[in-house]
Amino acid sequence: MHFITGKHIERRAFLKGMGATIGLPMLDAMTPAGRGRLTSSDAPKRLVCIEEVHGVAGCNDWAASQHLFAPETVGRDFELLPGNVLTSLEPYRDHLTIVSNTDVRMAEAFAPPEIGGDHFRSSAVFLTQSHPRQTQGSDLMAGTSLDQLHAQRFGADTVLPSLQLCIEPTDKGGGCDYNYSCSYTDSISWADPTTPLPMIRSPRAAFDLLFGAGGTEEERAFRRRTHSSILDWVAQEVAHLRREVGALDRQRIDRYLDSVREIERRIERVEARNNSGEPRTLPGAPPGVPDSFSEHMQLMFDLQVLAFETDITRVTAFKTGRDASNRAFPESGSDRGFHPASHHGGREENILEFNKICQFRVSQLAYFIERLKSTEDAEGSLLDNTVVLWGSPMGDANLHNHRRCPLILLGGDNGVLEGGSHYNAPDGTPMANVFLTLLHRLGHDDVHSFGDSTGEFLLG
Amino acid sequence: MKLTVAMVAASAMLAVGFAAQPMVITTPVVPPSHPTSTSAEAMTEVVQQYCTRCHSDARLRGDLSLEDFSVENAASDPAVAERMIRKLRAGMMPPPGARRPAGDTLVTLVESLEEVIDDAAEGRTSPGNRPFQRVNRAEYERLVDELFGLTVDASTWLPEDQISASFDNVADVQGISATLMDAYLTAASDVARQAVGQSDAPAASHTYSNDPAVSQHEWETVEGAPYGTRGGVSVLHTFPADGKYIFTLGFMSGWGERFHDIDVSVDGAQVALLRYSASTARTIDFQGRLGYPMRTDSVFVRAGQHRIAAAFIRQTDGPYEDLIRPNDWSLSGTEASYGTTSLPHLMHLTVEGPYEPTGVSETPSRSRIFSCRPTSRNEERPCAEEIITRLAAQAYRRELEDRDVDALLDFYDQGAGEGGFELGIRTAIEAMLVSPYFLFRIETEPGGVDPGEIFPVEDVDLASRLSFFLWGVGPDERLLDVARRNDLSDPDVLEREARRMLEDPRSASLSTRFAHLWLRLQDLEKVQPDAFWFPNYSRQLSTDMRRETELFFDYLVREDRSLLDLLEADYTFVNERLASHYGIDGVIGDDFRRVPYPDATRRGLLGHGSVLVQTSLANRTSPVLRGKWVMEVLLGVPPPPPPPGVPDLEETASSEGAKILTTSERMAAHRANPTCASCHNLIDPIGLALDNFDVTGKWRTRENGMPLDTRGTYYDGSEIATASQLADALLERPIPLVRNFTEKLMTYALGRRIEVEDQPSVREIAREASRDDYQMSAFIVGVVRSDAFRMKQAPDVASN
Repeated sequence: MHFITGKHIERRAFLKGMGATIGLPMLDAMTPAGRGRLTSSDAPKRLVCIEEVHGVAGCNDWAASQHLFAPETVGRDFELLPGNVLTSLEPYRDHLTIVSNTDVRMAEAFAPPEIGGDHFRSSAVFLTQSHPRQTQGSDLMAGTSLDQLHAQRFGADTVLPSLQLCIEPTDKGGGCDYNYSCSYTDSISWADPTTPLPMIRSPRAAFDLLFGAGGTEEERAFRRRTHSSILDWVAQEVAHLRREVGALDRQRIDRYLDSVREIERRIERVEARNNSGEPRTLPGAPPGVPDSFSEHMQLMFDLQVLAFETDITRVTAFKTGRDASNRAFPESGSDRGFHPASHHGGREENILEFNKICQFRVSQLAYFIERLKSTEDAEGSLLDNTVVLWGSPMGDANLHNHRRCPLILLGGDNGVLEGGSHYNAPDGTPMANVFLTLLHRLGHDDVHSFGDSTGEFLLG
Repeated sequence: MKLTVAMVAASAMLAVGFAAQPMVITTPVVPPSHPTSTSAEAMTEVVQQYCTRCHSDARLRGDLSLEDFSVENAASDPAVAERMIRKLRAGMMPPPGARRPAGDTLVTLVESLEEVIDDAAEGRTSPGNRPFQRVNRAEYERLVDELFGLTVDASTWLPEDQISASFDNVADVQGISATLMDAYLTAASDVARQAVGQSDAPAASHTYSNDPAVSQHEWETVEGAPYGTRGGVSVLHTFPADGKYIFTLGFMSGWGERFHDIDVSVDGAQVALLRYSASTARTIDFQGRLGYPMRTDSVFVRAGQHRIAAAFIRQTDGPYEDLIRPNDWSLSGTEASYGTTSLPHLMHLTVEGPYEPTGVSETPSRSRIFSCRPTSRNEERPCAEEIITRLAAQAYRRELEDRDVDALLDFYDQGAGEGGFELGIRTAIEAMLVSPYFLFRIETEPGGVDPGEIFPVEDVDLASRLSFFLWGVGPDERLLDVARRNDLSDPDVLEREARRMLEDPRSASLSTRFAHLWLRLQDLEKVQPDAFWFPNYSRQLSTDMRRETELFFDYLVREDRSLLDLLEADYTFVNERLASHYGIDGVIGDDFRRVPYPDATRRGLLGHGSVLVQTSLANRTSPVLRGKWVMEVLLGVPPPPPPPGVPDLEETASSEGAKILTTSERMAAHRANPTCASCHNLIDPIGLALDNFDVTGKWRTRENGMPLDTRGTYYDGSEIATASQLADALLERPIPLVRNFTEKLMTYALGRRIEVEDQPSVREIAREASRDDYQMSAFIVGVVRSDAFRMKQAPDVASN
């Protein structure tokens, strides 16, 4: 309860003001960065995969009747009524493809000990559409994620094949419940069925990963040179060490060696790029993790725009929440915690309350779409050559169910999606079918199934 | 042999205001009798009679059927037996209301089970195994501090650590990836530059932001700010070179305010005095934005780590209560409104520079690094060798081989060739900090070990195990010496070293690392009590609460107190801010000290704000979360999470007609739902007994204007209504706490989860500790001497 209902401080606006006056490093205030290499329309498509954790209010039965997520009409004439969670995307409706009524059944419990563990398992399912093995140990097993399939095929000639970002901290006391490793809860990107990738929360750390730390181009180049020779030596050390350790450690050492090699390749790719193209000034690095959700989201979106603009990567995965988080979003107009609010008990007033939080969270996307749309690419805008996928592995979070989950796709005139349409899937359609079709459209013609897919999904 | 432990809660400990009755609790700790097979059969009969009504093939409550279970053969399925032991020891089964056998039958049952399992394990316990550990964020910070005397924030570089079984050092979930490798590289480059200094550092700007929950009230000062100031920002910044720097300030709120003086200081010495809104030409809007920036002139600062504080000059002295706008004290409500005067808060501090760098002065980290200073070219390489050899031995935590030194000297040569001696040293340090010997704690496996074979951890690796367990950093010279002589593998020597290390101040990491994670103190910051209801709550207060618990635990270790002090201590550690929050008189100043609780309303850990706040919601207490915390964190018997679709407390009507219901009444209504009752009958009474503490851990007797009713029935049947009575109920049966603590300590010490097969060792350590009246050192030494700590088992071929 708040005594004064006047006006929330818009910290973002505040910081923008600061940025303009004192040079506080804010990415959006800056010139394009790095050595630019704009991509033309025949270049591989960029893919952005964004996860929402607690479904949306509109996936509850009553809320569905109010069209809080799925619009009443299918096809091009869909209408986003005022309470709809997507209303903030109305200005981009031509770019918007809504897919309602698909299921993420691989997130359901398969055995009694798994019942109730949805919050700890779902995130691993979202982009893999595979059922995770219940374990707390290193014998993890899920599937290769959609973003990684795309990155492994089309990301090889960019500096970073893919980038993983997240918003929430992962250090909750105790760890994860239901005998699930936190890897399943904390990562949506899986390089292969046993390898989850770490998601970066600090905008600063993400910036350094994308562009290199050091502040100036001269310093960056100097560091790259030093790192190159250090990595060379580390690789020898690791080979030496390998002989002294047991079998268990040898696997980890090998993984480490792969990582060292990957960084070496990255440095080579940066050098190759820098020998071509126009040098440009990089913006200053952003500060650490901001307090405000929207400010943090916007910084992470800024970084992705910057990474695309400079063609440092073409694939990103972005985890916008952590399951069962109690974080409150006062800017949404609701002061309820995210997780408690999602357990709305099916009561109409509580569903509408939860919907406020969902609307607020989804509205962050509009900023990203606008940035992509207003940033020039070789031909047209960045959005044209990009597919943004946003969805949740949960439907009605009150019931922890994984049926009729929310999914939308956004993109420009990219030959992948027509946009401006609402598809209502026949009951029982796996979300994986949409992913399979998407993979085909993105150039993975030889992929015949994905997760629990049963076939193609007819998208316009 | 019958062992009983008498715990006397001395009447002296129960000071003023509480019935000063000494309590004598007698608890059987070790199986007193050796049940014959007939008694095992009789116990099987008990299981069949009392347990299988719910745990049947048909009902499968808790996903468990005991229809085919027999105590004699319990060892054939230790997982089931251990589940039973846990629930029986906690006194949770059969559940409240269910039929229970008479007398001490249940005690005999659990003892029989333990005996069967422990006997079967005798002589063939595996010490377990795990892959190597890598340096996590917390360890990285400590290692850098030990090496260079530099305070760094590892979260700047390294990805989040994954928590498993409460701890951040569990090896098999510590991921290894290119992202991590890249982060280690960036960290190494930055740390090397900060430690050595960089005379040609390019001008850069760093912005630090205040947590909005930091109170900037008239009576709050920030660290390093002079007396007579209020609020502000305080940061430890590393200046790369001697040179000129500019400090820029950003504000929040402050609508309509002017004439505030702001003191900017470096290490407590004023370097600038700025005036907020000195002239009417400066416009300030309601968000605290100035028409143009507020910045200092350039200030000369020497290289190294310095504390920068910017704070308002205090304008009011004496008592100050603004009851109309108390939420202005901090910005945690993140609300401000037009047209109302509000106090300005400092939110951002940007450090920009260096401009016109003049070199690098002596800094504490440079004196640590440069143990020699070459005066001629000829002296440079020998000096470099000396420095590198010393640092690397510390960083690698072992004796160096020639190849180690040679490799780092190559990096020295590379750097020195480009930029002279210092750049050489810096480059060598950079390489050292990404060496696998620094980042990983790899334990050598002796040659010729067969799959499944048990072998001792090598002395030098044991030294690292021990020092990371007790100190959170690498071993010191003496420990390495002992290891070098291969004496450390002798359990008595190992114990002697452990006891020596416990005396060292570095063992404080058992409180700031182990206890912090075990008691989940990191969750404290995630609860932000509603500023409207709890205007006195601030980040300063929550930091004090965390500190209280850490100091308390540290005291238990340092004074070798009983673990049970956790529950029965009649003392705690407070400073003035926390003391006045708790209502304890006579504590002045910011320093913490040990004080007796003035009455029995608080007792042990259960009276700590750190526990009470982390288990609350922003606007109300949660007896459920508190009950769950006690069961899960202290007793190791977490209640199962609620099934989906269960309405939470908010769904329960908050009033009955005109009468506003208290939390306890709403919970009773909630429990009326039979699906909820089976667990909440266990959880709720525990939390209710703590409901006299509000969201911020402050004492209260009313809620929503109604008197609180905190009475409930603990699951063993005792009636409890206060924290003290809850503590008594828990002390009645100390085994769950004692074993759970042992298990957590082992998890942290070993860097792996404790499994079913480890339970006989857990029981053994706990049993030994009970003989020493649960002294902290008994647990710690018990873990250190255990096979699991000193040995490893090579994995079976199958598991490769």
